[in-house]
Amino acid sequence: MDLDERMTVLDALIRVQREVDGSIGFRCSCRVGMCGTCAAHVNRIPRLLCSTLVRTLDSDVVTVEPLPHYPVIKDLAVSLAPFFAQWRRARPAFRPTHADAPTLAVIGKHSRFRQLSATKRDCITCGACYAACSITGMNARYLGPAAINKALLRVLDPRDAGGADRRQVLDHSDGVWRCHTQFNCTAVCPRHIDLTDSIVRLKRALVRPAKGLTV
Amino acid sequence: MTPVRDVVAKYRWTFSGMVAWTLQRVTGVLLLFYLLLHVHTIGKLSQGPAAFNEAIATFRSPLFTCLEIGLLGVVVLHAFNGIRITLLDLGLGGGRQRQLFWTLTVGLGLVVFLAGAIPIFLFAVLKAG
Repeated sequence: MDLDERMTVLDALIRVQREVDGSIGFRCSCRVGMCGTCAAHVNRIPRLLCSTLVRTLDSDVVTVEPLPHYPVIKDLAVSLAPFFAQWRRARPAFRPTHADAPTLAVIGKHSRFRQLSATKRDCITCGACYAACSITGMNARYLGPAAINKALLRVLDPRDAGGADRRQVLDHSDGVWRCHTQFNCTAVCPRHIDLTDSIVRLKRALVRPAKGLTV
Repeated sequence: MTPVRDVVAKYRWTFSGMVAWTLQRVTGVLLLFYLLLHVHTIGKLSQGPAAFNEAIATFRSPLFTCLEIGLLGVVVLHAFNGIRITLLDLGLGGGRQRQLFWTLTVGLGLVVFLAGAIPIFLFAVLKAG
């Protein structure tokens, strides 16, 4: 079908659903690139459907497929179960050092945590990095870029006390050491998070002879 | 089992990181073959000077001169990409892996390759003439 050049791929799919095939299955929610629901393979690159303008694809034919490395539920809708299974393994929840502290912790504007986390905390768990990574395709036990990035945020946080548990998961052949530094995750992240940098930072932290895990 | 063409098509070969990673693996395997040939040739020494000289004579053909230039390319590519990966692992890349690939691995690698390949080629031509 002919598409308006201002259309996003999601707009095009909605038109296909309305005018051609009402049974086509895909997911979307916010339509502004902040919920991460509509990630799919567009012309063989994991992208958010709602943030990809058709004209930017520079292609006469737009091919939309489900994200690889995930079980397909229906058409373009995939189950993110493998992604969140690894996410949970990375111990993403905050575990306070002083749970009964009477005052709020102060994170200084120029602290390392504040500065580095600003570039790492925008993950919307769309799963594009997991789909782009060739290692997750070969080894389902690998943590994957998003889970490792989440773990890095917790490791950076001076208020978090979950370092030892997290270290066990990260310092493992299926943890950060499985990454082959291909940068595919970084290339496709719709929030422009340098995920490979997060992994490399943790690798460096793990080989330091320090007692705690400091990045 | 996923067909090989699907696996190959699944990854973006236009992404410099993926290309660099693949080149590093391919050149690594090629260097392994070269080392096997090298050890095999050096091993001829144990059979005496005549056997060694005979093996060396094989490498004086134009075909091996071309392969020698190819070997230089493989070594340079592997070495410069290795330096790129080392810089990135040490956190010295500044988040610029793509630029490092094109300037260090490809750009500087090409300069070093030509600086070695042109003399090898000219020497082979002059010797033949």
